[in-house]
Amino acid sequence: MVTWTGLEHFRVGRFNPPPPAIEADDFVYDLRPRWPRGEERGKSPAIEESFHSRRTFMETWRLPLSSSIRGKLISAGYTSLSSISSVSSTDLARGARNAWDMLHEEEALPRITTSCSDLDKILGGGISCRDVTEIGGVPGIGKTQIGIQLSVNVQIPREFGGLGGKAIYIDTEGSFMVERALQIAEACVEDMEEYTGYMHKHFKASQVQMKPRDILENIFYFRVCSYTEQIALVNHLDKFISENKDVKVVIVDSITFHFRQDFDDLAQRTRVLSEMALKFMKLAKKFSLAVVLLNQVTTKYTEGSFQLALALGDSWSHSCTNRVILYWNGDERYAYIDKSPSLPSASASYTVTGRGLRNSSSSSKRVKMM
Amino acid sequence: MAPLKHLEMENSIIDACFRDFCASHGILTVEDFLLHDLYELAAFAEREANADRLKEGITVMLSLIEVKCRPLLNGMELLEDLQRNKHTLSSGDNGADSLLQGGLREGQLTELVGPSSSGKTQFCMQASASVAEKQDGRVFYIDTGNSFCARRIAQFICGSSDAAALRKRVLSRISCHTVYDIYTMFDTLQGLEVALRSQVQMNVNEYRLRLLVVDSISSLITPILGGSGSQGRALMVALGYLLKKLAHEHNIAVLVTNHTVGAGESGKTKPALGETWKSIPHVRLMLSRDHRNSNCTISILKHTSMPSGKTVRTITRKDNQQCL
Repeated sequence: MVTWTGLEHFRVGRFNPPPPAIEADDFVYDLRPRWPRGEERGKSPAIEESFHSRRTFMETWRLPLSSSIRGKLISAGYTSLSSISSVSSTDLARGARNAWDMLHEEEALPRITTSCSDLDKILGGGISCRDVTEIGGVPGIGKTQIGIQLSVNVQIPREFGGLGGKAIYIDTEGSFMVERALQIAEACVEDMEEYTGYMHKHFKASQVQMKPRDILENIFYFRVCSYTEQIALVNHLDKFISENKDVKVVIVDSITFHFRQDFDDLAQRTRVLSEMALKFMKLAKKFSLAVVLLNQVTTKYTEGSFQLALALGDSWSHSCTNRVILYWNGDERYAYIDKSPSLPSASASYTVTGRGLRNSSSSSKRVKMM
Repeated sequence: MAPLKHLEMENSIIDACFRDFCASHGILTVEDFLLHDLYELAAFAEREANADRLKEGITVMLSLIEVKCRPLLNGMELLEDLQRNKHTLSSGDNGADSLLQGGLREGQLTELVGPSSSGKTQFCMQASASVAEKQDGRVFYIDTGNSFCARRIAQFICGSSDAAALRKRVLSRISCHTVYDIYTMFDTLQGLEVALRSQVQMNVNEYRLRLLVVDSISSLITPILGGSGSQGRALMVALGYLLKKLAHEHNIAVLVTNHTVGAGESGKTKPALGETWKSIPHVRLMLSRDHRNSNCTISILKHTSMPSGKTVRTITRKDNQQCL
């Protein structure tokens, strides 16, 4: 019975944090009990009062419900039967939000720009936070460039319409080039200086707080060399992001690399991948950040011909919120929205320049809607 | 199984001497009581000193057990229950309604299967909007992939006058929950069951819950299915039964989505989650999308009263241009 009591108190939050590793010399342990015991030491209330408080505390505890429900009721403050009976069932079901509140929240959600206005237009303003976006394409189409561009763009301060956040870049292939990131960061700072010039009607560039070095400092880079490291890192990300709350984007380049070769048991691969996808979804929702997963392509034999499809199979293609496919059309690079809960299918072209991702300067500027 | 001692709190007749008498015949739990020959037990009770009390205890036990057991229904009662309580909810899409002879049926578990990006989430959101607006019911939307988009649901609502107030009324009837693993899912569903039962008792005159959407159930089950143990399959079946129980007892239509997997040699895609899940939903619909002209095809894989293989073509609604 003592262990059971301890569990209920633990669930409600009445426990001490673990002791610090190195404690100061004058640190004193506080051993006073954390839960009500009827009569407080040092005070002397009436005996009936202490009995009454003890009895009402136990009332909810004695209800014939499952222990998780009892714990939730007590933690929400409903310790006596009278408090429960006076409230309606809809009040008790907290934790649900209805669509009207979510509509306002969604309109206020920020988006990460991709520095290419055509691409932003088909994405509805940019990569949305709280979503898992999968970007896939043939080698050489610019997936890593998009990843680096997003990790720089997320740091654009709020005055310039950005998020002012940090980025986590998880590299599985070793394709992150620091010199390229520095180049894109310098171009971003120059653009911001020009923008302040326009804002203040100087029409000449003025100094901006941010320097390219600051931008590089705010990208947390993880290099992963096997799939176990990848899974361990995803499990660790929850704790890492709770300590660094300004992280606003997590980019994984690429998510397929360690899962394509040397995986004998395909069923286990499906299980591991779906669990990883759920963890990313949970991260995106909990910390309101954007998760961008870059994927490779493979050939699939369907309807009598070989076609290009994204790697990792059908089960994986099910577990992302949005999907963007990059492809070549003649000499131009195009991006196509394949899956989205709220955006119509459309494609737009973009180019990769020395300064990063930009609009393509072709004559047909209109976005093609499907 | 519960020992007999636990019944003493509510029924004082099952006191210590009754329990001692039962223990002397090897009956310690309720299960033992059910398995024992009760005539023999009554005959032995006759010979005891306090025969009447013991026989009264046996009768009380039997009545308790009958209360816990489900009542027997005959065909007429089932038909009346069907006609009175289990209505058909329009799914918001004319094609699907004509295929399903009215739409989603309350009390049934409907499953939507389809490859990625075939319109399953759009169908779920359209059904939620239609139920909340036209049938005046509440919708409980469980989302596992962050695909619930309130803006898109607002586009599905059409109203002639007073658009803003109508939108607020309709959207406030849809509540969305995010779950990311199967245990939280069980937690949420059991919380919903408790809430619904207390609502029935209090007879609250709010809009009652009519539609429960789970998008998608396969992403919760795929991480635990397969492997060495059969725990994953047990959890999947338990979840299916819980959803069907909710549907039948509280007259809710349940809509779940599933994805497809490639079938290897035969080349055709088949629904995920395997053979065990196949028999759990009442109605299974297959969605497929033709990407060239964005036509959706819905076909019946399994239905309780219609042959499989019927198909219908619908056009996905882009924005709120035409209202039905």
